[in-house]
Amino acid sequence: MKRRVVLVDDHGLFLAGVRAELGDAVEVVGDARSVAEAVPLIKEVDPDVVLLDVHLPDGSGDAIINAVAPERPGVKFLALSVSDAAEDVIAVIRAGARGYVTKTIAADELAAAIERVAQGDAVFSPRLAGFVLDAFRAGTEVGGDAELNELTPREREVLQLIARGYMYKEIASRLHLSVKTIESHVSSVLRKLQLSTRHELTRWATEHRLV
Amino acid sequence: MPIRSFTRSTDGRALAGVCAGIAQTLGVDVTLVRVVFALLALAGGAGIVLYLALWAWSASARPWWAILLLVFAGALLLGAIGISDRAVLGIMLVAAGLAVAWRQGRNLRIEAPLSYGGLALAGLGAIVLLEGGGAATRVLAPGAVAGALLLVCGPWLWRLAVERDEERAARIRTEERADVATRVHDSVLQTLTLIQRHAAEPRRVASLARRQERELRGWLYADQPIGDDSSSLVAALSAAAADVEELHGVRIELASAGDAPPDTALVLAAREAMTNAAKFAGVEEIDVYAEVGRDEAAVFVRDRGVGFDPAAVPDDRRGISHSIEDRLRRAGGTAIVTTRPGGGTEVELRLPR
Repeated sequence: MKRRVVLVDDHGLFLAGVRAELGDAVEVVGDARSVAEAVPLIKEVDPDVVLLDVHLPDGSGDAIINAVAPERPGVKFLALSVSDAAEDVIAVIRAGARGYVTKTIAADELAAAIERVAQGDAVFSPRLAGFVLDAFRAGTEVGGDAELNELTPREREVLQLIARGYMYKEIASRLHLSVKTIESHVSSVLRKLQLSTRHELTRWATEHRLV
Repeated sequence: MPIRSFTRSTDGRALAGVCAGIAQTLGVDVTLVRVVFALLALAGGAGIVLYLALWAWSASARPWWAILLLVFAGALLLGAIGISDRAVLGIMLVAAGLAVAWRQGRNLRIEAPLSYGGLALAGLGAIVLLEGGGAATRVLAPGAVAGALLLVCGPWLWRLAVERDEERAARIRTEERADVATRVHDSVLQTLTLIQRHAAEPRRVASLARRQERELRGWLYADQPIGDDSSSLVAALSAAAADVEELHGVRIELASAGDAPPDTALVLAAREAMTNAAKFAGVEEIDVYAEVGRDEAAVFVRDRGVGFDPAAVPDDRRGISHSIEDRLRRAGGTAIVTTRPGGGTEVELRLPR
């Protein structure tokens, strides 16, 4: 069954490009160019996955997630952006996006990422893995929930390999683990990212008035 | 504008309908208006003159002598409450002068002069007041003159200040636009020209576009001046990656965690590794990851290309490999090349901090 996808991006050219590139791999059921357009559209068509630009003219991607998620818990979000700013990307992930890929991603990789997100897995591009490692960088953390605020050595290892450009399959064979185990490590990192109270994440959120 | 909207009333009029008209316009009882006019009539006949003035004014022609009548009524009133004739004359002159100056002042432009006639009239009135008034007017008059000047010049000065602010804002906007135009011309337009010239070479076009995108993004989001690669390790790697992309038409994804001051040996070795991957791996995309920890800085350059058998490296390739390894060793670090035929290549550069 083809995944039903909504595209949200304020650049018409880019929307058309993604539509053409994805071709038959998914069913694009709608597109929107702003937060105001996207929220009612997503609620109405109830897609499997929303491909979401981090920056929109009337707000940021996390505003859409916050508005839609309570009513449509089944909709998965994948952030797609040219933004280089770590805090913007982290903000969208913390709002509930299942992953982040850059707009330079190849079409087949994008289709694969959509499929993975639709199945409930996380999609970490090398750049996102770098951002996350940066945010969770080793350091003495006072107070807080240690389990949520620190990555395990194994999670760190997996993220480092993602950042170095390895695919899940390659990471699995390198670490002598199954792909499923790698996926669960990544999902666990995603969960920590969303629930962590680590000061870097909190500071980013506060600076951008997201708390 | 009660006077403008005022018209004589034909309903319930006693004489010409002036009192009834005022009562309707102001929404008060007509009897009250008549009482006021009767009282004013006792003040040297001011009420009667005022009535005539309003009557004349309410006729459609709005004749100038109606205003004279109004002024005359005012003078009668002032005389009736015991102000000397000279003072009345002074007050009338000041009022008339201010009225004229104000009329000009309302649509004042910087280039249009104030109504000097109006001001002169007001000044003459002030002199008459000062000369002829009693002790009380002598004290009050200077303050009144200062207030009058403020009234006249205030709007003019205000407009002047507003226009200067607008001018400054416009100048800043123009300068900003010029800055953006320069930037766009130096980068985006140049690149577009190059792209048109190389339209037949897709790889070159792609690398040109990508380099331009990187530059523009750096300018828009990171506030980092274009071409400044000396500020940090990640910035230096990013610049090196952009060079390799442009030279060899590959795409380089750079990820990083942490940053540090740049180290020449590390950056040059990484650049060498990127160049190797671009030239020999036969792939379009290379992944570079830089990680700066407390104890060391590490850079990984990885491709999913053809790889090679380390035991059977051609001489030229061995040389490059050595140059990477030697360079790092001299700087106190290590370089490890992991590869096998068909399995891609990864160069791992580590340098203690």
